[in-house]
Amino acid sequence: MATHYELPANLTAEKLIAALSEKVEIDPISKQYFLKTYYDSFDWRLYKQGLSCEFNRSKQTSSLQITNRKNGELVASTILFDVPSFSKQFNPGKVRQTLEPILEMRALLAVCTLECEAYHLNIVNEDGKIVLRLLIEEFELLKNRFTLNPVKGYDKVAERIAEIVTELGLTAVDKPVLLEALKLQGRHPKDYSSKLDLHVTPEMRADVAGKYIFSYLLRTIKVNEQGTIADIDSEFLHDFRVAVRRTRVGLSQIKNVLPEDVIARHKEFFSWLGQITGETRDLDVYLLNFEQYKKKLPTVIRQSINPLHNFLAVKKQKSHKQLAKKLSSSKYLTSLAEWEEYLASTPPRNPTEADAKLTIKELADQRMWKIYKQAIKEGDEIGGHSPPEALHKLRKTCKKLRYLMEFFQHLYPERRIDKLITRLKGLQDVLGDYQDYATQQERLKQFSEEMQSINTPNKTFLAMGVLIQDFEIRKGKARDHFTLQFAAFKKAENHADFHALFAPKKL
Amino acid sequence: MKVLALYSIKGGVGKTSSAVNLAFNAAQAGYRTLVWDLDPQGASSYYFRIKPKIKGGSKDLMAGKRDLDELIKGTDFDNLDLIPADFSFRNLDLLLDDKKKPTRQLKKRLKPLADEYDFIFLDCPPNISLLSEAVFEAADLLLSPIIPTTLSLRTLAQLTEFIKDHDLTNLSLIPFFSMVDGRKNMHKDIMQQVLADYPAMLKTAIPYASDIERMGLERKPLAAYSGKSRSARAYLELWQEILARTAL
Repeated sequence: MATHYELPANLTAEKLIAALSEKVEIDPISKQYFLKTYYDSFDWRLYKQGLSCEFNRSKQTSSLQITNRKNGELVASTILFDVPSFSKQFNPGKVRQTLEPILEMRALLAVCTLECEAYHLNIVNEDGKIVLRLLIEEFELLKNRFTLNPVKGYDKVAERIAEIVTELGLTAVDKPVLLEALKLQGRHPKDYSSKLDLHVTPEMRADVAGKYIFSYLLRTIKVNEQGTIADIDSEFLHDFRVAVRRTRVGLSQIKNVLPEDVIARHKEFFSWLGQITGETRDLDVYLLNFEQYKKKLPTVIRQSINPLHNFLAVKKQKSHKQLAKKLSSSKYLTSLAEWEEYLASTPPRNPTEADAKLTIKELADQRMWKIYKQAIKEGDEIGGHSPPEALHKLRKTCKKLRYLMEFFQHLYPERRIDKLITRLKGLQDVLGDYQDYATQQERLKQFSEEMQSINTPNKTFLAMGVLIQDFEIRKGKARDHFTLQFAAFKKAENHADFHALFAPKKL
Repeated sequence: MKVLALYSIKGGVGKTSSAVNLAFNAAQAGYRTLVWDLDPQGASSYYFRIKPKIKGGSKDLMAGKRDLDELIKGTDFDNLDLIPADFSFRNLDLLLDDKKKPTRQLKKRLKPLADEYDFIFLDCPPNISLLSEAVFEAADLLLSPIIPTTLSLRTLAQLTEFIKDHDLTNLSLIPFFSMVDGRKNMHKDIMQQVLADYPAMLKTAIPYASDIERMGLERKPLAAYSGKSRSARAYLELWQEILARTAL
């Protein structure tokens, strides 16, 4: 039995109620003007989990409801006057319990707003018990909706009403109002994802494919730009930076296909973008992980670390202000516009660059095989006494390989390339951990020096010292773990798989 | 899923009104809540305006011909459902007695509801019988309303003894004062004495009040028609104390 219906254009809510009242006794509960706003994170986390989050505000009341998008069932609801930005800002309860693990650090943003006149009606039995709830919503720009909210154990009434409304010309719908509302704005759900979804085909000319990849990354940079400037949440900057890094790897690895001068100019620009965004991101990471750091401390000194949080928050604010200024500067705007203009220009019929006329598959094979071999060589050279820089170098090489594999994923059999990416990820994780612990340890030392001048309690320095020691232990463990992970990555079976996929084929 | 049984050997101590009002508070806080009216008198079904009748009666239920899920009725309140009583529940003892491992039967039938509900309240009939033993097996908490009179205290002692004798180590007995008349010195004296003797006793006491008695006329939980009353506040505080005490 369908529970959601659309009213035909000529049927108003009042007329529908009158028609229903002729058949069954209806108890009108309320008629209210509502502003209905749908909320989700920028990357559609709630939608992806099959949830819909709507905030209904009328003159008398306002409430937030989380429902199952597929069957319309209520998951959690709460009376609320304003929607907080972050799930942790909700009062403890079911709503927060539902949102927190899904949204994590992402902010709740208004996706779209609809004006609506809502009629709530009940059908009650001879005992005065509600056996069915009805809702009619009149929208300005969308077709009006009728919803049956059956009460468990009283299905027959709902079935009867479903028959009656079908006779009255209502049509069952399975798409939530949200989808229709988005369509009005020319949008669709999941129109942003931080994951790469590039569809390059093997026979594409290398320079054309290169421009396509750079254009995709440029779009990611641009859609995250305003959220980064407004500091809506930390992930706008994160995704912005990842797209910048991927562009840099593309510029250095998709070689000899685009004009040398263009590449050189923009290499410098994207390197600058990487630099100016680094400090704010580092501080974001500290603030995001702060609770975890706290948990690493013995209970007796756990609260002593709090002044570090204040210090970081102030520092982050300053750093973000400078970043926002740079992202509005003429250097940024002009360089980005030039890059966009270049990418939009038609590729020459006869490019002069050495490898421009290769197919992208040929170029991808060459580059990935080369970088893979380089990673193995660098890893082989790392011994027990190698300096941290050697691991850092290998980490950067692995990152290049990973980005290339993600750019060109669609050129290879899905299962085979996914398997190799997973194995590479295992190695990257341990190298990443090692580097993170080393960097965080160094930064903590710098912070403690800076905090000397701002009247910080001694206990805070003591707690920071404990964290620095903890990072030292973790670094050691990561280093031991690296030896195992690299050995696994180097295994003959893995090598054969890389070889089969990317190495030049013997004629 | 946590199962909370409102239970007392004695009748007329406020089991049903406590089951209904505590369940209402749980549901209002967003927890998916179910009340199972096990008393053939069907008082909690009545309070929710739900007919005290289940398809196939207790016979079909105990024969495993029907799942509990099929018998659930939604109440007029969000997150709050009910399994109605049935007059045939007066024979539940006999039907249980015919089963192998009779005291495990309720637990077995409740198990499939584990994903659907956060809290299940069992509104139990008074007496101590095979059904009571099945309730003890199924419940995580045994909430027992106590009127501060000597007779009620005697039944509390009997119950404590029973739990000890039957080695029901997983069951927490949590008594609380019910139908307390603040004007009676005897009530006050007994409460003082019991709070000292029984550390498990909850601090919040439910008063003897006419607005609770009005539930029979209103046919809804107290807070749904008199949310700001002293009695409604007492039930809310009692619920919060249960949550805090038991870390549910």
